[in-house]
Amino acid sequence: MSDDTAESESPTRYVESPIIMATVRVVAPFVFTFGLFVMFHGADSSGGGFQGGVIVGTVVLMLGMAFGIQTTREWVGPKLPVVLVGAGVLAFLLIGIGPVLLGGAFLEYHAYGVHHASKYGIELVELAIGLIVSGIVTGLFFVIAAGMRNSGGETA
Amino acid sequence: MSSALEIGLLAFVVVSALATALLRDVLGSIIAFSAYSLGISIIWVFLRAPDVGLTEAAVGAGVMTVLFLLTIAKTVRPAGEKTIERVNVRALGVTIAFVAVLSTTLFALPPVGAGDSAVVTDDVTRYYLENAYTETEVHNAVTAVLAAYRGFDTLGEAVVVYSAGIGILLVLHKEVFE
Repeated sequence: MSDDTAESESPTRYVESPIIMATVRVVAPFVFTFGLFVMFHGADSSGGGFQGGVIVGTVVLMLGMAFGIQTTREWVGPKLPVVLVGAGVLAFLLIGIGPVLLGGAFLEYHAYGVHHASKYGIELVELAIGLIVSGIVTGLFFVIAAGMRNSGGETA
Repeated sequence: MSSALEIGLLAFVVVSALATALLRDVLGSIIAFSAYSLGISIIWVFLRAPDVGLTEAAVGAGVMTVLFLLTIAKTVRPAGEKTIERVNVRALGVTIAFVAVLSTTLFALPPVGAGDSAVVTDDVTRYYLENAYTETEVHNAVTAVLAAYRGFDTLGEAVVVYSAGIGILLVLHKEVFE
């Protein structure tokens, strides 16, 4: 435990660990798939957009832990989390407004006239929520981690 | 809640909560807190609420632990060799009094799984349970309520998460990078 705190006093140093890197490399695709499964399967089993979104966001956290947060942030880019969140809210709104344009009530999925419209509508909404949540988790992670270097002057 | 496993789980949760409050080392406190979240999420599954359990496991035990760890990375370990934080007696008294007041509501709660509780006999619950499968064509009643019957509420929640998240991202981003 004292080793951890000794390290955290000089937080800018990133130590590569082959064990963690190899583990993350193997586990990450499965976690990502599981997150998508929870997101899409929320309609028929436990789970849903919120939980799935958090699990998908966790993949980025794992990558950050294994390959260095700075490297991962440069790879993901500063805009992607914000774009994800905005796109999720926009998608939710559009799914809701669609039936209004077709002469129904807000979020009245049946107005789409597709077979199983309600089921697909709910799944799309879950997906939109998943986008929002995964974007928020990723963005928070990068921003809080960036606070570890309080020297300033770096660009995102 | 009667089997040995459930009692063990409850004891585990209480002990890890106490450890979270009492440990002097913040790192140890965070680890105890994530153990607490994990125990609570298993209790949710025992209470037949797997959706809540999944959320608690992913957010409480997973993401929150990482965010806390990143936050304390800037701090230093308090000096001294003591493992347990000294308890402030007056604060403890206030906390116990507060918990005692809150505990009086416990007696108003129906027992777990009671068939005649207000939640089960309520007309709205009945309607959801009887019509969710046919009207929304999904097999998870929780999702049916969240995304179909109360879809507008969920949209409101999504917008709250959106505005709170974007606000925090903007403020912290400015603070860190400018």
